[in-house]
Amino acid sequence: MVKAKVLLEDSVGKKVLLLANEAIARGVLEAGVRLVALYPGTPSSEIGNSLYQMSPHIPNFYFEFSANEKVALEVAGASAISGARSMMVCKGPGLNVAADPLLTLAYVGIRAGLVIVVADDPSMWSSQNENDSRYYALMGNLPLMEPSDPSEAKSMLLVAYDLSEQLELPILFRTTTRVNHSRSGVEYGPIRDRPEYVQFEKDPLRFVPVPSVARKRHPWLLEQMEKARSISESTELNFTIGSGELGIITSGVSYNYVLESLKILGVDAEVFKIGVTNPLPERMICDFLRRHKKTIIVEELEPFLETQIRSFAQHHSIDVEIYGKQQGFFPRVYEYSPRIVTTAISKIIGCNTPINWDDIDERAQSLPDLPPRPPLLCPGCPHRASYYGIRAVTRGKAIYPSDIGCYTLSIAPPLETADILFDMGSSISTACGIARVTNQDVVATIGDSTFFASGLPGLASAVYNQHPIALVILDNRTTAMTGHQPHPGTGITGMQKHVEPLDIEKVCRGLGVEYVKTIDPLDSLTSLVAEVRELVKWVRENKRPGVLISKAPCALLTVAERRRSGITVPPYYVDPDLCTACRRCLDRLACPAMYLDSETGKAVIDETLCTSCGTCVYVCPHKAILQKEE
Amino acid sequence: MDCNTHDTDVFNLVISGVGGQGVLTLAEVLSRAALSENHNVRVGEIHGMAQRGGHVVCTVRMGPDAYGPIVDAGTAHLIVGFEPVETLREVELVRPDGYIIMNQHIQHPVAVSMGKADYPPIDEIISSLRKFANHIFDFNAMSLAESAGNPQSMNMVMFGAIIGSGLVSISKETALATVAASFPGRFEEINTRAFESGYAATSVLKW
Ligand code: SF4
Ligand code: SF4
Repeated sequence: MVKAKVLLEDSVGKKVLLLANEAIARGVLEAGVRLVALYPGTPSSEIGNSLYQMSPHIPNFYFEFSANEKVALEVAGASAISGARSMMVCKGPGLNVAADPLLTLAYVGIRAGLVIVVADDPSMWSSQNENDSRYYALMGNLPLMEPSDPSEAKSMLLVAYDLSEQLELPILFRTTTRVNHSRSGVEYGPIRDRPEYVQFEKDPLRFVPVPSVARKRHPWLLEQMEKARSISESTELNFTIGSGELGIITSGVSYNYVLESLKILGVDAEVFKIGVTNPLPERMICDFLRRHKKTIIVEELEPFLETQIRSFAQHHSIDVEIYGKQQGFFPRVYEYSPRIVTTAISKIIGCNTPINWDDIDERAQSLPDLPPRPPLLCPGCPHRASYYGIRAVTRGKAIYPSDIGCYTLSIAPPLETADILFDMGSSISTACGIARVTNQDVVATIGDSTFFASGLPGLASAVYNQHPIALVILDNRTTAMTGHQPHPGTGITGMQKHVEPLDIEKVCRGLGVEYVKTIDPLDSLTSLVAEVRELVKWVRENKRPGVLISKAPCALLTVAERRRSGITVPPYYVDPDLCTACRRCLDRLACPAMYLDSETGKAVIDETLCTSCGTCVYVCPHKAILQKEE
Repeated sequence: MDCNTHDTDVFNLVISGVGGQGVLTLAEVLSRAALSENHNVRVGEIHGMAQRGGHVVCTVRMGPDAYGPIVDAGTAHLIVGFEPVETLREVELVRPDGYIIMNQHIQHPVAVSMGKADYPPIDEIISSLRKFANHIFDFNAMSLAESAGNPQSMNMVMFGAIIGSGLVSISKETALATVAASFPGRFEEINTRAFESGYAATSVLKW
């Protein structure tokens, strides 16, 4: 990641290599944003990570990792209503959590600019579905913008704030993974000052949407969207380049693929790049359609543009052929690539693709079978010990509701302790549903950050309704999957201020859980197994939720901390004389630092990967795993 | 409609490896060097889930015609593989006239450790690579990194090898300056040594 110092530099005209997410964080400075609130979610994470590094060094700036996305949007929305430029950031599924305040925010509107950055994830590199968040713009009547690359992510953000204030509406700013996680040169502009304080001006008949107020605000919102439509007709963010018989309409990252495809194919076309994708510039689009007998629409995921553009053509009786997803030229699943776009364009205009992709695919078929390398719990991950314990006690027979975080990776063999998952916090509530209709043991797991984000209401409900679920809270002291952001249990804020952390054990007791215990999973696997056994037994006997907090820092944090303070811990090794090649360590624990010596069939520990957690020691029945002496 | 296929003005580089090996850092350092020589550069990265010890690919694209970050099958000028199987996993990306630089050091996937899958023999990997490209250089970058002072400097060995190969238009001076600027303290020295050993390995090659 680019250092905070670089992002904070006040040097207009300087060109820096930035991730689009870092460019957005820089844009926060250039737009004079006073407050940013978010819950981390990949592919949006580095926006928050950068702001977190920067926050103590920006005057009159406030940044927080809120408990979840709904909270974040309520914080940012209220700040914008008070008159301070604000931002909320989330990933696609995170916007679903914030959908409730989102749709009402559109009714009441804002006073200073509010931008909601939502990062969708075509191909689901790190998400549980392929949310196309653009539909929130249609449903909620919200202006929507889609940048194509890091440089545009920043420049468009600045326009978004102006537009938000002009229309008094929050703006949805939608990126996709290939924008968020691409890096290119970005030119710095001037940094804007932020006010220290603003004055909240009361206007309850606008900001308190009781039905009589809301009824008046809905027509207002529609009027604002009409204004937005005329802005969309004239903004420089909607433009055409090139010329030719063929017309192509596109937005977001697909714009890049279109330009590349045309270059590769040596084909001329007029390309309409839409930056403001709601409301669409209907007049411009109709003029464009009239200029081209053939128009191709290139957009990832749902036919969001395509459906609307087809209806424009029908409505205005334009004689044009529109090609897109509906005839199957483009897929509705997964992200695009230049290859997908090039292949579709060449099919539509009737020419060959420049590269014989079929031949390459065929040759790739002839490659030897490659061992898969899926993401895994890291070597030394405390969750591995916890799951080993849970599996050992329940012999793999309990139901294991899982949640959103690294620990979902326990789905892989040999741990296989993830049976059902919907969204953040769902492990607790799905456990309740399962426990009610089966008589199987249910052991749910949730991470510390997720527990604060969405686990609390589920647990309150489980206690009140007396659901017999065993809950193991895997407290690794951070939000690990998205890059180690703090949360209410860590004792540090988004402004890097040290505060009293919320104690998960006390929180559970406060919610009325009678059985609560905390253990260190790396202390001793034997006692961990005993604790899990006791938990499951207690739940079975008492028919109520019980909680075990399995608390040990993320292995990556432990290693980083050791490196920082120069501590070396001797690694573990397998004594080949004691090892009987029984494979129990690999078959049951499968720490990635261990492998079998192909000649002797005995286990070996890769010292460069071992973090010396010591878990494997307890798994070996022959006491063959030992720690090196210093 | 006519289309006369064009070779576009862009150099496509793919870095393939295992999460934790420093793939992302190499892509970033390399691109920063490219930017400081005023190249138009686009980098595609993989974050989150994929980093946890799983397979990771980064793409670096340099040149005026680089718009998006994706490198498609048959379009990579150079594939840099941090691990044999991970090199082979991405081999279809290479152009028929493209190049491959590969570290021989094996990192066992868990499926192999657990005996659920086999690791293909190294000569089979190389002969499979040859079906896609003729220019292949493989060496033990891991042992060079270890002698430079830290196995974690392997990515800088690979950086040195990329620059040493002469395929990328970034000067050695710029590359070294970027290495120095990217790693503070004692890591600067180790990484510079690692870079030099990678550079020495490929600069003598007559592909
Ligand atoms: S469990 Fe112990 S004896 Fe069995 S393979 Fe592993 S190290 Fe060897
Ligand atoms: S001590 Fe054992 S379980 Fe822990 S990281 Fe090392 S090899 Fe893996």
